[in-house]
Parts: sequence; structure tokens; C-alpha cells
Amino acid sequence: MKIVYNDLINFFSKKPTKELLSKKLFQLGHEHDIDGDIYDLDLTPNRGDCLSLLGLARDLNIFFELVEPYELFKEEIEKLDLDFENLSPDECPCISFLEIEIDGEIAEYKPYLENFFTILKNNKVNFFTDVSNYISYELGQPTHCFDRKKIKNKLIFENRDCSESFKTLMDSEIKLHGQNCIFSMGDEIISLAGVMGGESTACSPDTKSALVECAYFIPKAIIGKSLKYNLSSDAAHKFERGVDANGQIEVLRRFIKVVEDHVKIKSVKIQTFSEGSFKLKNLPFETSKINEILGTNLKDSEYKNILEKFGFFVKDQIIVPSYRSDISCQNDLSEEVARAIGYDNIDSKPINLESKKIQQITKINKIENFLVSHGFFEVINFPFSPQEASNSICIDNPLDSKKEYLRTSLEFSLIENLLYNERRQKESIKLFEISDLYSKDLEIRQEKKLGIIISGRVGNNYLDFSKKLDDKYLNQLLNFKNSSFIISEISRNGLKTKKKDKIFYTEILIDDIPDEFTDTIKSEPAPIRFFNYKPTSQFPSSARDFSFSITDTNNYQEVLDHLNDLKHENLKHSFIFDFFENKKNNEIKIGVRLVFQSTLKTLSDNEIEKSIVDLLKPLTRLKGVKIPGLNLE
Amino acid sequence: MDKIDPPAIIKDLGSLHPINQTKKHLLEILSQMGFKEVHGPEIETEEFNFDMLNIKEQHPARQMHDTFYVENKSYVLRTHTSPVQIRSMLDSKPPIAFTSGGKVFRKDDDATHLPMFHQVEGIYIDKDVTFANLKEVIQEILKNLFGSNLQIRFRPSYFPFTEPSAEADIMSESGKWLEILGCGIVNPVVLRNCNIDSELFSGFAFGLGVERIAMLKYGVDDIRDFYKSNLDFLGQFT
Repeated sequence: MKIVYNDLINFFSKKPTKELLSKKLFQLGHEHDIDGDIYDLDLTPNRGDCLSLLGLARDLNIFFELVEPYELFKEEIEKLDLDFENLSPDECPCISFLEIEIDGEIAEYKPYLENFFTILKNNKVNFFTDVSNYISYELGQPTHCFDRKKIKNKLIFENRDCSESFKTLMDSEIKLHGQNCIFSMGDEIISLAGVMGGESTACSPDTKSALVECAYFIPKAIIGKSLKYNLSSDAAHKFERGVDANGQIEVLRRFIKVVEDHVKIKSVKIQTFSEGSFKLKNLPFETSKINEILGTNLKDSEYKNILEKFGFFVKDQIIVPSYRSDISCQNDLSEEVARAIGYDNIDSKPINLESKKIQQITKINKIENFLVSHGFFEVINFPFSPQEASNSICIDNPLDSKKEYLRTSLEFSLIENLLYNERRQKESIKLFEISDLYSKDLEIRQEKKLGIIISGRVGNNYLDFSKKLDDKYLNQLLNFKNSSFIISEISRNGLKTKKKDKIFYTEILIDDIPDEFTDTIKSEPAPIRFFNYKPTSQFPSSARDFSFSITDTNNYQEVLDHLNDLKHENLKHSFIFDFFENKKNNEIKIGVRLVFQSTLKTLSDNEIEKSIVDLLKPLTRLKGVKIPGLNLE
Repeated sequence: MDKIDPPAIIKDLGSLHPINQTKKHLLEILSQMGFKEVHGPEIETEEFNFDMLNIKEQHPARQMHDTFYVENKSYVLRTHTSPVQIRSMLDSKPPIAFTSGGKVFRKDDDATHLPMFHQVEGIYIDKDVTFANLKEVIQEILKNLFGSNLQIRFRPSYFPFTEPSAEADIMSESGKWLEILGCGIVNPVVLRNCNIDSELFSGFAFGLGVERIAMLKYGVDDIRDFYKSNLDFLGQFT
């Protein structure tokens, strides 16, 4: 909700600065951004009463003395005799109608009304609707203006099952379905109550006589309707959060006054349809209870003063104002006190919790640490799957209609993870995931499983580079005694990949992994290390292999040290993939792979060649060190 | 030829997922403070996910656009870890101090929201538990996470299951306040729903978004990076 600083400070006898007002709004829980003279507020959903200048000013009265700057129409108003029936008083306990006819043209808007449109960039529609929108901004109560001449038959309000189409005043046609609160005239629905009026009875710039509806709809009757029909509605936003159940007449008197400020009024009539009078809530005045909740030492007088500033009436009991639908118990009142004091001004106090210094290592912790120590990476996947198994659980309202089941296996997710990394030129892929999986038999069944997928080279070192990850590798790794598990080769048929490396997969129930296996894992969890992560590159990497011939062994260690410490802005990583000692020829051969990648662009061959020169040229100057076939000059 | 030592084998280390690392770190902090870890299902009934937590039928969270429903609306994918606290409270008598962490689901998918994310929660119920006690515990958690010189502020918020409710912000290095967790005094309605005498006992609860903490601690800008399973990304967390 956007409000203008100057509009809000009109409500106070002394005008606070923009910064002080902002600070106090935060203290009260009204989070906001400031853009010039505009506060853009993000109010909590329980504070529907604050969705207006008046509402915020009432709350701020705890800090700044409130004066009501707006005038009401004070004269006696003739009773309207409207042909109206409320068939659903449970959804609308109180509704008032104002019939107002004007005489003459509106020359220009007074500054307070004009500013509402210019400063807040609201669109003008027609005079009556503009006044209605301004009143909602000022007092928080939505009203709806019908063109009086278009209301020719009996008006009915009801909450009923609908299947008709309805054309809104925003010119959109919506197909109503399910239960809706509506106003109808004859067979025609003319307004989706509390959300948006219809085109057929809307005011126009020519309207001289309007019928203004001003109602209290219970939030439950309105909630979800604007989303259901994709309608952007300030009225629905307010009704969903609760408006003042008792404020309709004052709002209509203010409506008349704003109209009177702009044009001669020919006639006004008013009528209220109400199911008895609204009963104000009472709560006991218990300062001790408030102190028990907050841990404060508030005195009765201090507590009473806070409540009265917030608009509560305090005598033997606390009478809750009609606009505070969010207050129903002592805890609610304690929040009022905390807001007034300031959460940061309540001293913190320790509790007697028995602290524990020894962390228990679970079976799952051990399995995770074991796999990580063997070069596996843990992944976490969303549970949504396109695959339906006989025992799959179906999502009624999936985000993606192609993924409407909860996965019953980790396999599909892990294959997708593997292919994703293969497309990024990864040659050794070892992934695992541990997750609860859900299926249905007679009832919902929950199982915790470990899924492991492998493909490519065993490792990036000269001992493992030529070895491939396979079922033997996995069998040796998961050397479970007294337990059987299946390692399957995943066919690449049907997978969008050109890679040829075999893919192996296994999935095991955590409960089936023998304790004898996990008990032998010497596993101390690595302490967490937070660091500044580097964004990953979106550009392809490029690998270059080099073979060093070292015939002067005095320089062997220097070559090794240099290769283990290669650093360059374009170098992603490097490793020694081959080592051979030819004692007969007194020669050592070292194979090195350099992988280049930039986070800024795709590297050209020239840029890679230049990086290679920077990295390797110092070595070729060493006596007895050569890279056969490579000229770095 | 002199004896040559072959190149040292540098063992390839894998890594736990950064979200799991962060979740474990949070749970460890709470466990060391005396909170006992409890677990619960990700598929929940509306009763435990909403009703018992005072989230009324008309609350926006219960609409189809916010919550994943399964099996013809018989169950929901839990929208928070709070039902675990409910289940644990029903099985225990105060004093209790529980923590739980895990996956939660909301029907949301954009640049800053995912349909699945992780929460860690804590609840403490005993006699004479106050908002002042809550502040002490939250300050201890945040100082454990972000350092003892941390500047923390509390401001009012709204959650149906706590009253008063608060959000805690921390001051970033750039001088901006960052929203970090939600907390509050357990609403007496929730205590009564769990057969706990709300006249005799009171308590507080708090919840943290694990992705939010991980993004701040590692400087990750895009929440979606956590779930791409990119080895270039995961490889940094060894």
C-alpha cells in the first residue's frame, strides 16, 4: 500500500519528520520502503485496519497526537427506500446505501483529491468512482458506486453457487463458478461483491446520480476470489483482511462531504440494512498477565495508557474497538504493549536450557561422510516426477502438469543430474542423494533411500585416469556383508547424450545398509566452512593435454612443484594424468591436463594458447625439460 | 638415476550439499543449546499442517495456489516444519525443547522462490517462558551463526501460530538490515490443541529458512543455483 507522507502527517497535531515517522512505523511492525514522499508499506495480513491513512494514524497515535483532519457531512439525511434484499446476512451482516444526486459540472478536483491521482499515479475513472477510491485510501472502507439510473429493478445480495458469465467494469469477461457473493438485479449479476462491480451498472463521466454501496463483508466470504478470477482489486485486499464492522455511516457521510467539496448536491438519501447491532469484544484488564507473557514490569497505569492510545476503552474491562478484528486474547494485547514499548526495548533474559556439547553421529551422517570421502557429491532434487508407478502419489494441483507424481525412486532425478554435468564436459561423475520417498499402499508409506549414480573416469590422477567407474568399483566401495543390493547399468538408449561411458546406478533402503558396515566408518564430520562462493561459468571449458619429457632429474621436483601450483585467470583446474619413469633411458614422462574456462566469455584458441605460454614456458627453460611437439616461442 | 618419488596422489574429495551442510550446522547449534532433534513426515494432513497451528480455513496459505494437495485433497505436502513440533508436543509433556529441520513445499516457482526449500525450527515450552527469553535465545543463535559483534533488531510480524510474533533482522556489512528469521510466543490456542495447559505453560518458537542462511553465508545470489546439481557449483563446497 502506498501513502503520501504529507497526507499522513495531516492527521497529527505536531508534524513528525519523514525519518521519525518511518522509524515509528517500523517499531509498530509496518515494514516499508521510502520513495521520495511516498511510503510503500508491506502490512501484515492481520492488520486490515491499517490499510488507510486513518488506520495508520490511529496506530501512530501512540507516538503522535491524533487529530482527525477530515470533515464529515453533518446534516440530517433523508431515509432512502431502496428495493433491496440481503439473502446472505451471515456473509454481509451490515450494508448501507447512499443515493446521491449532483447538480452541475465538476470544474477541477481540490488539491487533496487531485494529489491522490497525481502523486500516487492513480488513474482517474469518473467523479463518483474517483471519490470512492479516495475514500478507501483515506478511511480504509471500500465502497462501490452504481449509476442510479441503471438500477431499475430489485437489488439482491446473496452468496450462491454461480455458473454465469460476468463482465467487470474493467471490461474483462469472467466465468463465475462455485460459491460467490454477488449483487444481482433480475437475472443479471451486476457485481462480484467486495471484489469488483460490473460494466452494465457502472458510473460514467456523465453520471449525475449514484447509488453508493458500503458494506461489511466477512473476510471468509471474499478471500481468494480476486485470485480465483485473476482480478486486481484493492477492495478485495481490504475485505479479505477485515474492515471496520461498524464504520459504514461515517464513511458515507465523508463521501457526501467530499462530493460537496466539488459540486452542488441536489439530494442525498441513506439506508442501512443490518442484522442487529455489532457487539464490541470485551477482555479482562490483567497487567500481570501481560508482564508474564513479555517478561516486563509494566504498571497498571502504563498499560492502560498504551491501550487507550491505541483506541481501546479501558475501565474494569478492556473494550476492543470495532476496527481491531485481530484482537481476541491476552497474547494479542501483549503484542500491542510490545509494539508500543518497542521490541528492541524489551530486555532479554536467559532460560535454563541444559546445553549439550557432544554431537551424536547418526547412521546417515556416517554414510554421507563415507561417500564424500570417496569423491561423491551430494545432490538434492525436487520430488516432482513425470513417471507414474503403480504406487505413485498424485499431486492434485501440480506446478507443472507434466510432473504430477511424487517420485518413488531417486533414479530419474540422478540420471538427469548426471546428463546435466556430462553436457558440461565433466568426465568423472559420482553423485548420491538421500531422501524420503513416498508411495501408497493402503496408506501413505515413507521410506528413506540412498541413490548412487556413477559414470566416467575413476579419478583425476595418474593412477585412476585410465580406469572407468563401473559395477566392480561400486561393489568394492559398498562392501556390505549379509546384505544384497542391485547395481544396474543404465542404458543410454533414449537418453539425449553422445557420451559412451557406461552409467551404473544403485538404490538402497537406508535401513538395509548393515550397521556392521556403518559402524566401521571412522567418521568425524568435517566442520562447516563458510566462504565466498564463486559464480560458475556459463561458457564451455576446453581441455589441453601436454606430455613433459624430463631427462635432467635434478629438475624433476621443480617441474612437479610448478605443475602443482599452476594459477591463471583462464585456468579452471589442472591435474597430472600420466607418470612414467623410464630408468633405461633415464627419462621421466609426465602427462598434464589443463582445463580452461572463463566466467566472462567463450575463450578463443588464441586466448588459450596465450594462457598456455604464460603457464608452461618457464618450465621449458629448465635444462633437460621438454614438451615434445610444442613450440612456446 | 636417483630415486624418484612419483607425484603425490591428490584424493578427489566430494561434498555434502551446501544446503545440507547449512542445515546440519543450524541443527548442531540448536542441539548444543539443548534442543532435541525430532523428525516428521513431509506428507501431512491439513489438521497437522494448518488446523492445529491455528491457521484457519480462510487463511490464504490454505488456498490451492499456495499449497500442494495430494490424493484428492486427503493430504498436503507440508508447507513448513511446524507440524513436526505439533506431533512432538502431542507425544511429550513440558518442559520441552525441540528442533526439527527438513524439506517444505509451496506452490511457487520464480527467481526468488522455489517449490521446495528447507526450514529449521525450534520450540521451547515450560513454565514462565517469556518474550524476553525468546530474545535471549534468538540472539544466541544468530551470534553463533554470524559472530558475536552482530547487530540484531526485532520487529513485529504476524504468524497465526505465535502471538506476539516477531522477525529478527541482522545488520549486513553493507549497512543494510537483512530479514533472517521469524519467531514468537506460541499462541495459547496451539498449546491447547496439543493438550498443554496454556494457563500453566507458555513457550516460544522460531523458524529459519536454510536457503536464506546459506545464500548469506556463501554469498550465493541465485537460490536456483542450489538445485542445478552443477558439479562446478557443488565442487566448491568440499
